[in-house]
Amino acid sequence: MLDMPIEKDSFSEYVSVDRGRQRFRVDRTAYSSAEVFERERRTVFARCWLYLGHGSEIAKPGDFVARAVGGRDLIFVRDREGQARALFNACTHRGSTLCRDAAGSARVFTCPYHGWVFGLDGALRDTASKGGYGPAFNADGLYNLVPVPRLEVFRDFYFINYNPAAIPLVDYLAGAGDYLAMIADQSAVGLEVIAGAQSFSCYGNWKLLIENSYDAYHGPSLHQSYFEFLDNRTASTNSAATQSGFGRGLGNGHGVFEIRLNSGRPVAQWIPAFGEAAKPLIEAVNAELTGRLGAERAERVGQRQRNTIIFPNLVMNDNLAVSIRSVYPQSPTRMDVKVWAVGPADEDPHIRKIRLDNYLTFVGPAGFATPDDIEAFELCQRGNDHGAPGRWSDLSKGMTADEEFLHAQGDFMDEAQMRSWWAQWDRLIAGKDRLSMGES
Amino acid sequence: MSAALNHDEARAVSLAERAEIEDFLYHEAALLDRWDLAGWDALFSEDGRYEIAPISLGAQDQLDPAKVLFLVADERGRITQRTIRLMKKSAHAEYPHSRTRHLVSNVRSRAEGELFLVNSTFVVYRIRREELMTYMGENFHTLRRVGGALRIVSKRACLDLETLKPQGTVSIIL
Repeated sequence: MLDMPIEKDSFSEYVSVDRGRQRFRVDRTAYSSAEVFERERRTVFARCWLYLGHGSEIAKPGDFVARAVGGRDLIFVRDREGQARALFNACTHRGSTLCRDAAGSARVFTCPYHGWVFGLDGALRDTASKGGYGPAFNADGLYNLVPVPRLEVFRDFYFINYNPAAIPLVDYLAGAGDYLAMIADQSAVGLEVIAGAQSFSCYGNWKLLIENSYDAYHGPSLHQSYFEFLDNRTASTNSAATQSGFGRGLGNGHGVFEIRLNSGRPVAQWIPAFGEAAKPLIEAVNAELTGRLGAERAERVGQRQRNTIIFPNLVMNDNLAVSIRSVYPQSPTRMDVKVWAVGPADEDPHIRKIRLDNYLTFVGPAGFATPDDIEAFELCQRGNDHGAPGRWSDLSKGMTADEEFLHAQGDFMDEAQMRSWWAQWDRLIAGKDRLSMGES
Repeated sequence: MSAALNHDEARAVSLAERAEIEDFLYHEAALLDRWDLAGWDALFSEDGRYEIAPISLGAQDQLDPAKVLFLVADERGRITQRTIRLMKKSAHAEYPHSRTRHLVSNVRSRAEGELFLVNSTFVVYRIRREELMTYMGENFHTLRRVGGALRIVSKRACLDLETLKPQGTVSIIL
C-alpha cells in the first residue's frame, strides 16, 4: 500500500507534503485545537499500545503501582500467582477510586467508601455487608475489577491497549522492538526502575515533547550551555561536533536517531570525567556485554547513544543514562510528563552513582538541558496560541522527493524520524489505520 | 541528616551562634534573589554539596543520591558549573531570569563538633512570563566555620510538592 503513489501523498488537512519542493509541513492547529485533542483521544490513545510500566516495579506478588495511562487511572499489580495485571482503579460499586497509594504492596484492595474488598486478581471478595445481595449477584463476575482489555509484555516492558482487537504488541513495535531490546540487553539479569521517578507538567502541546526528544538538530543551538559544561568536564573542545549517526523511521510511526558521542555511558563507555576508579568497572561491563552479545552488537549497545520514540508517546532515551518518559495531553496546550531512570538490576554501586550523576546533569527538571527544552516547547506553543504568522510548522530537513515517510532515513541531524511519526499520526487521525485485527 | 540532630554529641547553639546562622541563611536568600550566583557559589566550602531530593519519595532527608534519582546532586565542581550556566543568556529556561523571593523561616539549629546542623522552612516564589509559581519545603544545611566565616558543607532542599505540576522545572536555585 505504502509504495502506491496515490496512497503515499493522501494526507489529512493537517499535513502538507510537496515532493517537488521537498517540503513536509504540519498545520499548527494540530498543536492547539480542541478538535484534534478529541480526535487523538479516540484514534490514537484508544488504539495504540501505551507503556504501563516495567516488571521490576512490581517485582513480588502483591506489589502494585497506581498510574494514569492515556487519561485513565490503572493499577499495575502482580497477583499471588505472580501474574502481572492491569486493572481499572475504580470500585465496581459506585466508581470510587479504589487505590490511593502511588505504589506499595497489598494483599487486597479495599474501597474506602463501602468497604468492598477485591483480590489482587480483581475478584470481588467481600461487600462488607451482612446481607442484601442475592447469591447470584456476582456469580458471573460482573462486579470484579475490570481489567484493561489488553496487557502484553516485551522484554519486561509492559504495555496496555484499550482496544480489545488491537494487533499484538510485538507486531505493533515493528522495528522499534530491537531498540527496546538494545536497552534490555544492557543487563544479563534484567533492568530495574530506579527510585525517584519524576513527574511534571508544562505549557505546550504533548507532540512538541515528542518532536524534541529525538531532534538532534536543536542540540548545538538550544543546548549550547550544556555542551560547554560537557567541554569543561571532559577537558575537550566542541563535544557537539564529535557526533555522527543516523535518524530513521522504524515503522508504525516509531523512530530513532542513533549517534556516537563521547559523553560517557555507564553501559559501557568510560570517559576520564568518570574517574580512574570507574575504568576497570566499566571495562568489565564491556567484557560481559561482548561475551554475551558478540563484539558487533556489544559495540552498538554499549558505545552508541539512541533516542527512540515508540509511537505515540513513549520516549526511550538511551544516551548518557537510560530514561523512559511518557507524555500525555492534559489539554490541547498542556502536557503531563513522567520520567523513570532505569539501570541493570545488579549494577555496581559506583557505576550506579555515575549513572545517576550522568542522568541528572542533563535530563531532569533541574538538569542542565531539560529546562531549556521545556522553554522551547513553551515558546513554540506561545507562537501558536498568539497567532504567529504562517500556518505551518516545518519538518522538511533531509527529505527526499521519493521518501517513504514511515521508513524515512537520513542523517541524525535531519528530521526523517519526525516525518515517520507524523505520517502515522495522520493515518490514524484520518481513520486509515485502526491498528486493529477486526472491526472494533 | 535529621537523625544527626538527635546525636549524643549534639549541643545547643548559643544565642550569638543562632543569630549568626540565621543571618547567614538570610544572606544566602538575598544573594539568590538578586541573582548574585557567584556570591552564592562562594558560600560553599571546598567539599560543599547542593542537592534537591526526589519529591516522589518519603524521608527525603535520609536518601542517598548514589542510590536514588535526585533532582539535583551537585558536588562542588558542578555547583560552580550550575552557577556559570545560569548566568549565560544561553541558559534559556532562565533568560531572562525569573524574579524570585526566597523566604526562610522556622530555623532550628544544633551544633555537633565543628558542624552546625540547621533545618529551616522555605517558600520560594518565582514569577516568569507573568506566571507565579511556588516552591515550598524544608532545607537541611550543614555549616562549618572556614577562616572565621560560616560556609555550606551541604545544603539539601526537600520539596513538599507531590509532583512538579504546574511548576514544570526547578531551573532556579532553591
